[in-house]
Amino acid sequence: MSTRRGIRVLGMLAGVAAVGLCAVSWSQQAQEFLYGSGAKRPSEFHFTRLAYQGRNGVARGRRGSWLTDWPEAEEHLLGGVHRLTRIDAGEQGRAVSLMDEELFDYPWLYAVEVGYWYLDDTEAARMRDYLLRGGFLIVDDFHGSREWASFVDSMQRVFPDRPIVEIPQADPVMHVLYDLNERAQIPGLGAVLSGVTYEKDGTVPHWRGIYDDQGRLMVVIDFNMDMGDAWEHADTPYYPEKYTALAYRYAINYILYSMTH
Amino acid sequence: MFEWLFKYPRDEFTHGEFVFASTWPQWVPVAAFVVGAAAIAFFLLRRRQMGALKLAAIGALQLAMLALALFILWEPSLVVRSLKTGENAIAVMLDTSESMGFTEGEQTRMQQAQGALGSEAFGRLGKDYALRRFVFARDASATEDYSTLPAPGAETALAGSLLQVLRQARTSAVGAVVIVSDGGENAGTLDQEQLAEIASLGVPVHTIGVGRERAPEDLELQEVLAPERTLPGTTLSARVTVRHDGPGVARLKVYDGDKFLASREVTLPADGTVTTAFVDFGLQEPGFRDLNFSLDGKEGEAELRNNTRATVVEVPQAPSRILYVEGEPRWEYKFMRRALDDDTSVRLVSLLRVSPNGFYRQGIDDPKQLQEGFPTDAKDLFKYDALMIGNVQAAWFTPAQQQMIADFVSERGGSLMMLAGSSGLGDGGWGNTLVGELLPAQLSAEGGSFHRERGAVVVTARGSRSPMLRLSDDDAENARLWSSLPEVADYQTLGALKPAANSLLNVKIGDRQQPLLVTQLYGRGRSWILATGGTWRWQMGLPVADQRHEAFWRQLARGLVADAPGRFELTARSRGDTVLLRAEFRDEAFKPQQGVTVTAVATPQSGEPLTVDLRPSADQPGVFEAEVPAAESGLFSVEALARRGDQTLATTRMAMRHESGRAEYFTVRQNRSLLEQLAQATGGRYWTVDQLDGLPEAIRYSAAGVTSQEIRALWNMPALFLLLMLLKAGEWLLRRRWSVV
Repeated sequence: MSTRRGIRVLGMLAGVAAVGLCAVSWSQQAQEFLYGSGAKRPSEFHFTRLAYQGRNGVARGRRGSWLTDWPEAEEHLLGGVHRLTRIDAGEQGRAVSLMDEELFDYPWLYAVEVGYWYLDDTEAARMRDYLLRGGFLIVDDFHGSREWASFVDSMQRVFPDRPIVEIPQADPVMHVLYDLNERAQIPGLGAVLSGVTYEKDGTVPHWRGIYDDQGRLMVVIDFNMDMGDAWEHADTPYYPEKYTALAYRYAINYILYSMTH
Repeated sequence: MFEWLFKYPRDEFTHGEFVFASTWPQWVPVAAFVVGAAAIAFFLLRRRQMGALKLAAIGALQLAMLALALFILWEPSLVVRSLKTGENAIAVMLDTSESMGFTEGEQTRMQQAQGALGSEAFGRLGKDYALRRFVFARDASATEDYSTLPAPGAETALAGSLLQVLRQARTSAVGAVVIVSDGGENAGTLDQEQLAEIASLGVPVHTIGVGRERAPEDLELQEVLAPERTLPGTTLSARVTVRHDGPGVARLKVYDGDKFLASREVTLPADGTVTTAFVDFGLQEPGFRDLNFSLDGKEGEAELRNNTRATVVEVPQAPSRILYVEGEPRWEYKFMRRALDDDTSVRLVSLLRVSPNGFYRQGIDDPKQLQEGFPTDAKDLFKYDALMIGNVQAAWFTPAQQQMIADFVSERGGSLMMLAGSSGLGDGGWGNTLVGELLPAQLSAEGGSFHRERGAVVVTARGSRSPMLRLSDDDAENARLWSSLPEVADYQTLGALKPAANSLLNVKIGDRQQPLLVTQLYGRGRSWILATGGTWRWQMGLPVADQRHEAFWRQLARGLVADAPGRFELTARSRGDTVLLRAEFRDEAFKPQQGVTVTAVATPQSGEPLTVDLRPSADQPGVFEAEVPAAESGLFSVEALARRGDQTLATTRMAMRHESGRAEYFTVRQNRSLLEQLAQATGGRYWTVDQLDGLPEAIRYSAAGVTSQEIRALWNMPALFLLLMLLKAGEWLLRRRWSVV
């Protein structure tokens, strides 16, 4: 083996090891979240975060964009679910990655900041399988044309042939418990502090979705909105209560829809 | 030998009554025995040097001799009642049905029968008694002699004909009945009730069997049992019974009209004569399906007409409806609904409590349906064919609603299925309710029976035979498909199963199993428990293309509704050249209705429609009956209309396969067991045509008719004296051996 060739092989091995370590670290983070401290009473419904990686396996932010608003968002929302519905919901959220064996034990997934997600072909196939078996995905907190394009890039790997469409007002998801006739843009805390309800160029809110062959929603897309912040800041005095109330109602309708359709 | 030892024939002992003829008071022989025993003891004890064992042996022999002597002195006798000769009649019934024309060897069965009737035994009977001759097939009729016989009958009503003769005989002294037949009863008249009625008349019936009992070259499709109704696309299982006299493999085929549906091989064991097998098939097209079951003939089989049977199965067009009440949103609800979404034959109407004050309704026909929650009026609930109750506490239902649920099963004839849940079954307080009584298992009242722990599902032996749980037609593949399912998400422990309950599925937790899917009949309906709310893991845990979860729920749902009767039910059965119609009409609350007129239009396959008014049954309210002539075989369809005055209340229709005259082809073998059963029940005997010598003597001891009573002294039977001598000789030999003479 020549010296140059040996250096090349060593370099490749080092690269593989670095990617492996990065993946292990990310996976450990998700598992720690999943199996960390606190009781894990098994319940019928669990608020389940999708733990995803960013492009090239690089997580955005200190702990990754998939953990945005954690844990207050789910803790606050689950309180509302307990109070307002008859769902036997777990008191704490859970997290799962697409390649986890437990994925199919959680038929409801929440993915946040999906403008920064990246699903490779294997993950996309796994997501497709999950949704076609009856799983339900809500994506939230992404804004503007650039993040939309990033989201669609991965979503099209999941369903190359299924269109993303606006959810019509008559769809049962808008009426399963609450009649959600008000399509108000639900802002993040940052936008509220800036005196607006939008971020980037995402001035118009959209409730979009992907349907299966039987006309049932598989994916609900809250675009140009930040419902996660509305749940998280339910106890923040300067976050408008009307947005939190509406975000709770949307979330409860989404959950009930996913458990009935 | 018997007669030499006991002086009289065996039959006299069988039929006679044993008495003591002595006029001594009863205490005399007892006292004599006690005194004699004391004397024996006194004399033996004086020789106690013999030893206890020897004394006991000698003493026992002497006591036996004493008892035997007293027995003889007390004049044992036999009181024998026998028919008076010249004063009694014997009814002789000759089977003249078509099957008596079967040729076996060189003779027909009728020729064998005629041979028996001309035998010396019948000659003796004729001398002692008046012989009243009858011929019978569907009915019995008197005849002067058997030289001229009626045309062969298309049906054999053995019990009905016998009852006809016995009722006639009530007015005269008939000492016994002799039936000469192949036992080919095919009118369905010989049930336990009829047999009891025949026996109660007290006339011994002697049966003489004609025809061979085995036919190794013949296969007979003895019976086909299929549901009367099935939903489109449902796998249904028909039970077929094959009569055979040898090992082999028979191929069974099923056709819907001319369309081939299914076939299977039936292995016929060497050690059996009747083999039962199940054949599974599905029916897609709605309507009355004319099904034909056919066995391929064996090599050399001459009679192929008994290899086929036909039956009609209704495939309704309108979907059946299931009401599903669920106490909280849960995955089982979602995935069950999804599994049933594409099934056009079952409509799942669901009432889901989504919030403390809110319902979510799905599958409803109009916006007002179930608007106020669970029905409070029986007629609203009884519109459904089945009811499923999920994770709902019993206390959520009022006592009146609980009563209605119980009536839904017992009166309406619907199916009730209870699902597991933290507020379901025992944990929901159902154990001590009226509804709990009709469930197939006891429910724990202690709480904590629901466990969110996974368990593997195991099909029980009974479950593997149920078409509801068939995931494949192939037994091995079916077992593999069940064993490779993901575990269910949860389970609920049950108490003991009720006596009539069966577990079709078990759940395996660690090394132990407990019932998971349990069912039992209750009243007119059926109750079920599915002790899990976690079959949804089958859907989420298997590839998209895998349809096991969907198949399970579709078949289960269809099974729930398949047997639910309608308000207006019409049934029919063939009886010879007629069809018996039976209609049952109930109101919206499924209470039997009176003051209703029911008219039917019966249309044979070829022929003119016939309109008949059904008459109300005298003992069953809401039931109407009529007999319709049907000379020709074929599909027989009936439309019925129930009305009160000029108001039409309901209409219904049905179809059946009427087989006039075919029943006789299914009598290739003599039905000896039936003839024996009939004789045994009445105190008569079964005879073969070549061994009739004892018949006159057996008939002589009949208690029916005009009898005389004779007393036979038994004290001088040689057997008694021989025994006495043996006892004495025994004592003498013992004394000699022990040198104590």
